[in-house]
Amino acid sequence: MKTHTFDAQITAAVFDNTGAIFALGDGSVRFEGGEFSAAHDGAILCAVAHPSGDGVLTGGDDGRLIWHRRDEAGVLATARGQWIDAVDASAESGLIAFSAGKTLTVIDAKDAGFRRDFQHERTVSGVAFDPKGRRIATSTYGGAALWFARIAQQKPTFLKWAGSHTAVTFSPDGAFVVTAMQDAQLHGWRLKDQKNLRMGGYPSKVRAMSFLSNGQLLATSGAQGAVLWPFVGSNGPMGREATEIGFDEGSLVALVASQPKHGLLAAGLNDGRVWLADPAGQGLNFLKAERGAPITALAMSADATRVAWADEDGQAGVATI
Amino acid sequence: MTDKIPVTVLTGYLGAGKTTLLNRILTEDHGKRYAVIVNEFGEIGIDNDLVVGADEDVFEMNNGCVCCTVRGDLIRVVAGLMKRQRPGKPAFDAIIVETTGLADPGPVAQTFFVDEDVKAKTQLDSVTALVDAKHVMARLDDSKEAREQVAFADRIILNKTDLVTEAELVEVERRLRKLNPLAPITRAERANVPLDQVLGLGGFDLGRILDINPEFANPAHGEAGHVHDEHCGHDHHDHGHDHDHGHSHGARGHAHEDDIKGVSLSLERPMDGTKFTAWLDRLLGEQGQNILRAKGIIDVQGEDRRLVFQAVHMILEGDLQKPWGANERRWSRAVFIGRDLDEAALRAGFEACAA
Repeated sequence: MKTHTFDAQITAAVFDNTGAIFALGDGSVRFEGGEFSAAHDGAILCAVAHPSGDGVLTGGDDGRLIWHRRDEAGVLATARGQWIDAVDASAESGLIAFSAGKTLTVIDAKDAGFRRDFQHERTVSGVAFDPKGRRIATSTYGGAALWFARIAQQKPTFLKWAGSHTAVTFSPDGAFVVTAMQDAQLHGWRLKDQKNLRMGGYPSKVRAMSFLSNGQLLATSGAQGAVLWPFVGSNGPMGREATEIGFDEGSLVALVASQPKHGLLAAGLNDGRVWLADPAGQGLNFLKAERGAPITALAMSADATRVAWADEDGQAGVATI
Repeated sequence: MTDKIPVTVLTGYLGAGKTTLLNRILTEDHGKRYAVIVNEFGEIGIDNDLVVGADEDVFEMNNGCVCCTVRGDLIRVVAGLMKRQRPGKPAFDAIIVETTGLADPGPVAQTFFVDEDVKAKTQLDSVTALVDAKHVMARLDDSKEAREQVAFADRIILNKTDLVTEAELVEVERRLRKLNPLAPITRAERANVPLDQVLGLGGFDLGRILDINPEFANPAHGEAGHVHDEHCGHDHHDHGHDHDHGHSHGARGHAHEDDIKGVSLSLERPMDGTKFTAWLDRLLGEQGQNILRAKGIIDVQGEDRRLVFQAVHMILEGDLQKPWGANERRWSRAVFIGRDLDEAALRAGFEACAA
């Protein structure tokens, strides 16, 4: 296990093909190997690995989307006068999607001339590609919108559900879209018939959702343990109950991280601890057992062999499983 | 852990002087770091990375409480600003939220009580309303939002006083006070109010509600019934004023009766704590949509400490605070500011809580 101390808050952790990368509230990006990139003028609000697997894409409150590699950094797009709140990228299609205010923007990592801007009625809070990287779901007030990534003129499919939706994800089979909501619950839609899935019972807002075990489980934060929703068969979690692992009355799971093709789950707690578990097995393996500031960033590498975390006080670590 | 960041909400109609005041807050040499959340982007002619645009995204919570509307844009922007926080230090000395002239201050204030993330990092300090002495009377006549902004405020800054006569000012202040008997009124020209009268007021801090006690229903200088105290800024031993609470004499009130008013209640006998809490809960449950603000200090029978409460619509906070002094006058008083309030019914309900 390697640890780092930074003098700013860590807002995101990401793995690219080489290693762990931390994005910070002072606008800088720190690579695990010690490389440093300070391209933003302000805080980094969101980050995702570049579709090529080399480096990280960050969106900042300076309205810039920047691609940082270990030896260079460059601005890929700007949103004038607005914050870039959410970003996602698809290794499958090579496309990048980000939101600023009410606008969803799509650019192509391989074609600098390609740009699509899609307008929403209310502010966009989250952005997610489908598994093939051809469609994009956005979360916003009143539901989620589905866009085709490349088509210039289109009306989105709007998945309606009253309330404020704060984050969005696609299931790995592309059959479901799930949002987190302001009032401590999840909402899902089965895309083929837009059937609603209500997933509630959380004591706190859900900040992180992550699929694992070949898409058969959706893990979320927001409770005293990590909550696991079954996504087996065409009905997903309809009529099924969630299970909770690692329940601890004295703390809340702040973040979860996993990889769709692997069966391991990492959880970061609001008391600073980080654990790893195999939902099919038993017990928790504490990667960080000592308590501290709340965990604010958590990531698992694509091959599920490494976990990176960071807390509100600038402490960060990377562990090999 | 770092302290919560105080948040000041600045309301007021277009032209009241909000932009002038915000520019002063951003440029004055105070050594403090303030973040400003604005709605009318571009009005502030300053290139400052701490000025953030928001889009007045009001939504209802799904929790079944009809008046639980919050501002989604504020939740998002406050969360983003908190990412600038460095270990062990707050990100800012204060956050100032500017609202448009048409904004309802209720959802803005409720955001700071309802959202768990915002509540964990920030604390609503006060709502300050800027009004333009020359145009406020017309605004109050034709705009519900203008009346609500005045009624909601913890402090009212009466700006552009150089453009009207003293007699007009007295008339304006009388009407403002009727809409909101809780908020002290500060006169200003070109928004030249000292910043310590805008920031750090503790308007929602139960521990400081005892301090504002002498301002309760206290008419302005030179008006009948004005009580001189440590808050009015001059030595009362030199004044021969009659310290009289007889508010009945003198011309009170504007020719118009506003739909919003403040109702001040008091009782010299101790109150039954259980009865009072039940009454207050029921009142806010039934009329919370119409009650913009409420504050009170209650003398509960058998309790050495005073019960202090404040409410924003249906959101109520109350706690036992400082003990009564040995020689202190123990009495209960409360002010309710709202729309279509039945003063007689409120008084009867309040007094029926006597032990």
